[in-house]
Amino acid sequence: MSLAAAIEARQVSATLGTTEVLHGIDLALASARWTSIVGPNGAGKSTLLKALAGLLAHRGEVRLFGEAEGGIPARIRAQRLSWLGQSGTGEASADDLMVYDVAMLGRLPHQRWLAAPSAADREAVERALRSTQAWDWRDRPLGQLSGGERQRVLLARALAVEAQVLLMDEPLANLDPPHQADWMQTARALVAEGRTVVSVLHELPMALAADEMVVMDKGRVVHHGGCDDPATHTALEQVFDHRIRVHRVAEQWIALPK
Amino acid sequence: MHTAHLRRVVLLGAALLVLGAALLLFGLGIGSTGFESLLAARHDPVALQIVWDIRLPRTLGAWLAGALLGLAGAVAQGLFRNPLADPYLLGSASGASLGVAVALMLFGGSAASTQWVMRLGLTGAAFVGAVLAVLLTLTLARGVQQTLRLLLAGVIVGVVLGAAKDLITIASADILQAIQGFILGSTGLVGWSACAVMGAVCAVCLLAAWALAPVLDGLALGEATARSLGLPLGAMRAALVVVLALATGAAVAQTGLIAFVGLAAPHLVRSVVKTTHARLIVLAALMGGLLLMAADLLARWLIAPQELPVGVLTAVLGGSYLLWLMHRRSARGGLS
Amino acid sequence: MKMSRFPSLLAAIGLSLCALAAHAFDVVDERGITVSLPQPPQRIVSLLPSLTESVCALGACERLVGVDNYSNSPAAVRALPQLGGGLEPNVEAIVALRPDAVLLAKSSRVTQRLEALGLKVLVLEPKSHADVQRVLDKLDQVLGTHEAPRVWRVIDASVSAAAQSVPASVRGKRVYFEINSTPYAAGESSFIGETLARLGMKNIVPARLGPFPKLNPEYVVRANPDLIMISVRSAQGLEQRPGWGGIRAVREGRVCRFDALQSDVLVRPGPRMDEAARLMAQCLVDKGK
Repeated sequence: MSLAAAIEARQVSATLGTTEVLHGIDLALASARWTSIVGPNGAGKSTLLKALAGLLAHRGEVRLFGEAEGGIPARIRAQRLSWLGQSGTGEASADDLMVYDVAMLGRLPHQRWLAAPSAADREAVERALRSTQAWDWRDRPLGQLSGGERQRVLLARALAVEAQVLLMDEPLANLDPPHQADWMQTARALVAEGRTVVSVLHELPMALAADEMVVMDKGRVVHHGGCDDPATHTALEQVFDHRIRVHRVAEQWIALPK
Repeated sequence: MHTAHLRRVVLLGAALLVLGAALLLFGLGIGSTGFESLLAARHDPVALQIVWDIRLPRTLGAWLAGALLGLAGAVAQGLFRNPLADPYLLGSASGASLGVAVALMLFGGSAASTQWVMRLGLTGAAFVGAVLAVLLTLTLARGVQQTLRLLLAGVIVGVVLGAAKDLITIASADILQAIQGFILGSTGLVGWSACAVMGAVCAVCLLAAWALAPVLDGLALGEATARSLGLPLGAMRAALVVVLALATGAAVAQTGLIAFVGLAAPHLVRSVVKTTHARLIVLAALMGGLLLMAADLLARWLIAPQELPVGVLTAVLGGSYLLWLMHRRSARGGLS
Repeated sequence: MKMSRFPSLLAAIGLSLCALAAHAFDVVDERGITVSLPQPPQRIVSLLPSLTESVCALGACERLVGVDNYSNSPAAVRALPQLGGGLEPNVEAIVALRPDAVLLAKSSRVTQRLEALGLKVLVLEPKSHADVQRVLDKLDQVLGTHEAPRVWRVIDASVSAAAQSVPASVRGKRVYFEINSTPYAAGESSFIGETLARLGMKNIVPARLGPFPKLNPEYVVRANPDLIMISVRSAQGLEQRPGWGGIRAVREGRVCRFDALQSDVLVRPGPRMDEAARLMAQCLVDKGK
C-alpha cells in the first residue's frame, strides 16, 4: 500500500557526545515513495538517517513496516533495509578489493555462513553494477577508481541488497550530472517496483524532484510534505534564511540563491 | 563473473602449494648428516629414523607453524585495519615466553611442580601463556569494540609480562639460555605429535577465519556500513581474536618466537593479487608456510652441521624485504 | 650319554639367561623418572660439561661419543663431535650418533623430544658439593664402573689439602666472588661459596640472599671485602667503579683475576672441584697476606 508507513519515527531523540542532535522527532515515511531530507548543515539529517537505519543509539522508537526495529534480528533488518553512508568516512582500507567483491558485500545479509555466493547473488550484483554503469570495471580494485566512479560502486553495493527500504546519505557525492540523472532514474524505478527510497541530499533541484520532502533544521522536522506543495517550498526557503528561491523551470522545480 | 581475477587467486594458491611440496621433499636431505642419510635410509634404521622421524616432521612442522603465523597475520591486519599489524600484537609473544620461563623455573622445584611441568610440557606452558595473555588483553580493553584500546592493552600486557619473564630469568639464572633459545625460535623440537596438534589447530582456524572473513571485508567499508549489513560485529570480532590467539599460541608453543612471517606473508600475497579477506587469509597461510619452511631449510643448511636459529634468519630476510619494498616505493616517487 | 647332557645344557641356558637379566637395571634420575637400561651404556652423549667431566673421572671417557659445545675437559673430549651450545642441542646430530644414554641438565629443552624418539635420557645436574658426590654415585650405578667412592675420596682429600695450604693468618678474611659485572655474586649457599667455606674464608654474601644474587654495587662497597675474586673480563674497569676505589681489597691490590679457562673450573660444580679449590687457595696465598 503506497500510503502505509515504511519507516516511522516516534519521539526519536539522539545525542552525539554531549550535544543533543535530534529532539523528539515524529516522522512517518510512506512506502513506495521517494522522500528526500534536506536542511542546512548541522540540522541532523545524517543522524536521523542513521537512527532510522538502526545504526545509532537513540531514545524513542523506530518502526519498520509496523514492527519495532529494535526487536527485529539484525540480519532480517539488513535484508529489508539498505543504508549507504556518506562516502569518505573511512573506507581507505577497501581500496584493495575488486569492484565486484565490493558490490557482492551487499549480498551478505542474504548469504548463509560459509556458503558460496548463489546464482541469485550473482544476478543481483550484476544488476546493481549495470544500473550504475560500473559493470565494466568489475575486475578493477576500488583504489584505482576516481571519486565519482567509486561512488557508483558504493551505490551498487547498496542496491545489491535489493532491500525494500533504501536509506542513502549524500548518494550523489562526486557524481557528474549525467550520472546524477541516472541515479534519479534508478530511484524512480525502485519506487515503481514498490520500494521506498529515502535520501539526504544537498542538491536541492534533485531533492525537489522527489515525491516527498522532509525539511529539517536544528534537530527538528520543520515540514514534511509533497515536493509540489507550495508549503514545502516556503518551508525550504525559510530554513535557508530566505537566501534561496524556488522556481519552476521546464517542468522541474529548482532552487536558486538570491 | 570476474574469472580473470579468480584465476589469479587460484594460480597463486596452487603455486604456493606446489613449491611447498617441493621444498618439503628437498628438506628431507638437509640436516647435520646431509644427503647421505636420505640415501642410506633404505638399509640403515637410524638414518631412516633421522629422515622420517626428525627431518620430515620438522620440515612439515615449519610449514604448519608458518601457515599458522601467516593466517594470524592476515587476521590481525584485517582486524586492526593496519598493514603493520602482526600476530604478536595482543601480547601473545610475551605470554608464551612467560609460560616457558615459569615452567622451567618450576621444573627443578618440588616433586609436585616437576610432575605438573612434565605433564603439561614446555609447549603446553607456552600455549597456555599465549592464550592467557590475549585474554588479559581483552579484559583490560574491556571487549573488542575499540581497536585502539585493544592495541594499547596489547602493548601494555606485552611489556608487563615481558618484565615478569625477565624477573624470573634473573632469579633463576640457569634457565637463561633455554629461554633465549625459545625466544630466537627453532623447529628443532618438532615431532609428529607437534605436527598433529598444529595441523588440527590450523584446520580449525582456517575454517573459522573463512567463515568470519566477511566481517573484515565489511569493516573495510566502515563500521556503520558493516553493521547495516547485519553483521554481529562484536561477536565476530571476539571470535577473530580467539582465532588469532589460538593460531599464534599453537605456532609459538612449538617453534618459539619467529619474527616477520606473520607480517610479511599477507603483504607478499597482496603484492601479487588483491582480494577479499577470506581468500587472503588462506593464501597468507600458504605463503607463510612456504616462507618459514624455506627459512628453516636455510637455517639448517647454511652452517651445517650446525644450525642458525630460524627466528634470526626470518628477521634478517624479513627486514631486507621491507627495506627493498621501501626503496622500490621511494624510487617510484614518494612514500605512499 | 645324550640323556645326561640335556640337564647341563638346560642349566647353562638358564644361567646365561639369568646373567642377561642381571644386566638390565633401573635408574631413577633427578626428575623422579625411572629409566630402565638393558645394560651399562657404551655410547654416551653428554650435554652438560660437569657431566662430561664426571663420566671421564669415573674412567668411562672412551664411552663418550658426543658432547655439547662447552665441554672442554679433559682434553680428549675436544675431539668429539660437538652437538650444540646451550641454545639448543641438535636433535638430529644426537640421534645420528646412536647413543644408548643421553645425559643432560634440568633446564634442557630437548628432553621430551629425545625421549619421544626412543632415546634413554637421564637428567642429572650437580649444583652443590653434596650433589657432586651424589651424581658421581648415580653415574657409577649407570656406567657400572664402581669407581665413585675412590674418586670422591681423592677429590675430597685434595680439597682438604688445598684448605690446609691456606695460611692461618688469611683464614677468616672476607671474600667477594663476582660471577659477572652486572654484578652477580656467588653467595654462601652456592657451589663456589661452599668451596670458600671449606677453605676457611668468609663470604660477604650471606646465604639468605640466595646462591647467585644480583647485588646493588653499594652493598659490596659497604661490605668492604678483604679480597676479591673475579674473572679477567669482569675485572676491566673494576677500580673505576663508583666508590669501589675505597674498598680495602681494591686499595691493597688483593684482587685475583682468573682467565677464561680458570673461570670454567671455578664455576662448574663437578669433579674438578679440587682443582677449583687449589686455584682459590693459590689466590689466597698470593694475595691474602
